[in-house]
Amino acid sequence: MIGYICKYTPVEVFEAMGEEVRRIEPEVTSFNQADTLMHPNICSFAKGLLEDALEQHYDGIILTTCCDSIRRVYDVLKEKLPDTFVYILDIPRITKDAGIGLYEKRIRRMIQEYETYSGKQFEEERLLEVLREKRGMKAAEASGTEASGTETSRTGANRMAAGSEANRQASNTSMEAPLSLQPDHLNVGILGARANESIRRILEKHHVNVAFDLTCTGLKRKLLIEEDNLLPGYVRGLLTQFPCMRMEAAAGRDQLIQTYAGSVDGVIYHTVQFCDNYSYEYAWLKEGFQKPLLLLETDHTRQSYGQILTRVEAFLESLQNGETGSAGKRKKIRERRENDTMYVLGVDSGSTSTNAVIMDQDRKIRAFSVVRTGAKSGESAERILKEVLDKAGLKREDLTWIVSTGYGRVSIPYADENVTEISCHGRGAHYFNPKIRTILDIGGQDSKAIKLDERGEVTDFVMNDKCAAGTGRFLEAIARTLEIDISQVGPAALTSTEEIEITSMCTVFAESEVISLIANNKEKGDIANGICRAIANKAYSLMKRVGLEPDYMMTGGVAKNPGVVRAVEDKLQARLYICPEPEIVGAVGAALYALDCCHSQAEHMV
Amino acid sequence: MKIADQYIQYVKNKTEAEPEKGWDKILLGFQLNRLRTHFLPKPGLSKGYQRLEDMMMGLVARSLRDGDSYVWGNIFAPSEIMHNMGLNTLSIECLACYLSGFHLEDFFIDFSQSIGLAPTLCSYHKTFVGAVESGVIPTPAYAVTTSLSCDGNLNTFRFLEKKNQVPFTLLDVPYHDDEESVDYLAEQLKAMVQEMEDHLGRKLDLDKLKESLRIENETKKELIRFYHLAQKHYYPGQIISQLYLMMGTHLLIGTREFLELVQFMNQDIQTYPEFTGKRLLWVHLLPFYQESLNQYFSCNEKYQILATDIVLDTAKELDESDPFRALAEKLLDNVFNGSYRRKAEIIGAIADDLKPDGVIHFCHWGCKQADGGSVLLKEAMKERNIPMLILDGDGIDKRNSHDGQIKTRLEAFLEMIEEDKA
Repeated sequence: MIGYICKYTPVEVFEAMGEEVRRIEPEVTSFNQADTLMHPNICSFAKGLLEDALEQHYDGIILTTCCDSIRRVYDVLKEKLPDTFVYILDIPRITKDAGIGLYEKRIRRMIQEYETYSGKQFEEERLLEVLREKRGMKAAEASGTEASGTETSRTGANRMAAGSEANRQASNTSMEAPLSLQPDHLNVGILGARANESIRRILEKHHVNVAFDLTCTGLKRKLLIEEDNLLPGYVRGLLTQFPCMRMEAAAGRDQLIQTYAGSVDGVIYHTVQFCDNYSYEYAWLKEGFQKPLLLLETDHTRQSYGQILTRVEAFLESLQNGETGSAGKRKKIRERRENDTMYVLGVDSGSTSTNAVIMDQDRKIRAFSVVRTGAKSGESAERILKEVLDKAGLKREDLTWIVSTGYGRVSIPYADENVTEISCHGRGAHYFNPKIRTILDIGGQDSKAIKLDERGEVTDFVMNDKCAAGTGRFLEAIARTLEIDISQVGPAALTSTEEIEITSMCTVFAESEVISLIANNKEKGDIANGICRAIANKAYSLMKRVGLEPDYMMTGGVAKNPGVVRAVEDKLQARLYICPEPEIVGAVGAALYALDCCHSQAEHMV
Repeated sequence: MKIADQYIQYVKNKTEAEPEKGWDKILLGFQLNRLRTHFLPKPGLSKGYQRLEDMMMGLVARSLRDGDSYVWGNIFAPSEIMHNMGLNTLSIECLACYLSGFHLEDFFIDFSQSIGLAPTLCSYHKTFVGAVESGVIPTPAYAVTTSLSCDGNLNTFRFLEKKNQVPFTLLDVPYHDDEESVDYLAEQLKAMVQEMEDHLGRKLDLDKLKESLRIENETKKELIRFYHLAQKHYYPGQIISQLYLMMGTHLLIGTREFLELVQFMNQDIQTYPEFTGKRLLWVHLLPFYQESLNQYFSCNEKYQILATDIVLDTAKELDESDPFRALAEKLLDNVFNGSYRRKAEIIGAIADDLKPDGVIHFCHWGCKQADGGSVLLKEAMKERNIPMLILDGDGIDKRNSHDGQIKTRLEAFLEMIEEDKA
């Protein structure tokens, strides 16, 4: 078995020599070997690849000079796997004739070396057969795509026009990047760096159609056959595929992207942690992009699934405009006697606190409660249910519908449905103050900026990366180091008289920076203020990424910290609206979703 | 010094408030700084390094003052060709360093991230893009970059071409150093000249280019002589002196001015006393702002940075009779090209020649090609019995470096090599 990674790899050459070839799709649980043999700050795909290559037994591994990280993976694998055919193929960035000529020579040399290594022979006639076979299969596949395309044209006048235009453009480009729209489905496109299967799985689960996938793993092989000029023609086909960001021709990616994007509901822009090449294109597209665009960073580990899930689900919710919820549509609301007041419950299970709100049919909050999330979110869920029911003077049976949200939303056993915290914060904020357009939410382990339109619907959002920098946990760690209670960090910051700059945003680094400031006899209030300003800087750039539009609101536990609030306001040069209980905004949103669900089911029954 | 600090703070505040107006003040600052180094020698700094700093400040100030006399580049762009056409080259690395002299790097880096660039991207590139995009740096008429060493180059220049209409040439440097690669690259160099001639209305003078290559060969010999002299003499410099030397050997190589400077350094160094401390070979970028590193390596009689790979990245003798092939060969020969095994062999050969007491490999945040090879280099140095330290940090962004951590690792390493010799 020969493993490869890059779409420019001449896979068919090996197949012509009778080898089985497979694209390596690492899905690992740790980067232990990669972190020791390379460095933690390397592209996560490259690290995953290294782990995979050292675990599996490939007979050959064909890498390319596609990026800085992969060049180093090659160096390490070459040293660690002396008996395997580990090869790096240099791909020219220039796809004009000079590049094609050079690439052909490189491929011929690789063939020679593989012949020596394996004792097998490469024959052009065999390559021709392989190419013909594959082309035949592709033709069949392509006609299938066309069939679904025809189906598209029967529905949705607007989409049909856009879709067929895009389809025509696509056939000019070739069959490698088909566009297939499905009526009555949400149609989403995928762009950016190589995407792993988990994104597609999530989309499938939500019955979302992937209308196009222009990442290097989503494209089909582009196989050119020139019988009297076989290898040069084949190489030309390889090099002139839809270009990836390392190619000189990548400047021309826009055209196809813009055409395709015009016909879908939204686009997911995927990047890999520590792969920066695609962020340039994201930055370029983002400005004035015609459709909702989600930036989704993954790290090719199994653990990142939960994070991906929240972001993708929230994005889909924002595309569906209110048609939210997981299992909602399948369950039926609990019946109640006529004239009884209807009550619903929203539960927000966060990493630090679990918050609950009971609301009545008139959108009035009847009771709320906030408890500390324990090691098991299920237990806190039971505790808060009892507490909030007691406060409202109600019984479990009085609740018509329960919506859960937050990081632990799927672990609330009694919830009828779950909605992401992003949509819920949007709804909650709008409930408290309809003028709000930009929300900053800083919770225990993540922070996010959410953009709302005048109806309170989420139009964009960003979340911090997998890191505690600038979150409640960060403040907790610093409070511990300063030996003051977390609730005192803000008031202490307000007493500050000297400006201290905390340069490290990493929780661990900042902690030791604080230790040295203490050692230098700096005042606690000044250090606390430095910390608040560091958090505000991070929050401000998050908010800038969704666009700064007043009015502003801050939610989450950290909104109770007057030091952070002041620092963010200084940065924004504007006031932040903060509701009396900033921690329950998500739960209020969840309760509002619960009411929606009751109303819409009631309508259906009528 | 006080006035300079106040000025820096003033420029920083002004630039952050009104980016497009910050430029004139930065420019003035460059010129002032140049005056300062010109008239107020830094105490303790050797005359050669002093002159080097003055020369590099002058290059930046001059280029920026006469806006149409320079092009953007990366550090490997063939400045010999640009010089020949009457143009200076200001590289990303060089401009980013200068801007961080005004402590503006954090503002520019945050700016880049706010428009969508990845937080994990190299901070040199983020500083540069942020400075351009925030409207602080005016744009030149052309740019030249190479694919050598770093993925960021093509992407940064393509991004700026799209956003600010600065046309550029990408020189695609192949991975293997062989004849086919030389052909491929030499043709690109010729095409680049054609492109620049058409676009800028300037002409290349081939005879002058041959002369530059001859001067370049001589300069490299002088440089190697300098390193051998630095083995014996204490020649006080700062960490940033190594960066200036890198800029000189890339942006001014082939000029008589730079050759004469190195010749002067070779004269001057011999007037300094014998060096009896520890000599270190530095690999990759240097975080010139880092407190502890400055404490140990700036004008310190006990520790001296002997050489760095960013200065000594190619020693290839250029065949002046065929300048385009020669420049292609030079790029392909670069220590940053090809595998890390090759790099380790070159570093090993430098170590055999200069006999440092230890090697320090600096892993610059976001530099995958260097970070990813650091462990391999350490293993290769171990085979040669040369102790090596890996330091993590950031060449520019203080927020990604932790001085306390660097200090502890560095001190432990220095203690270790002291004991080794004892």
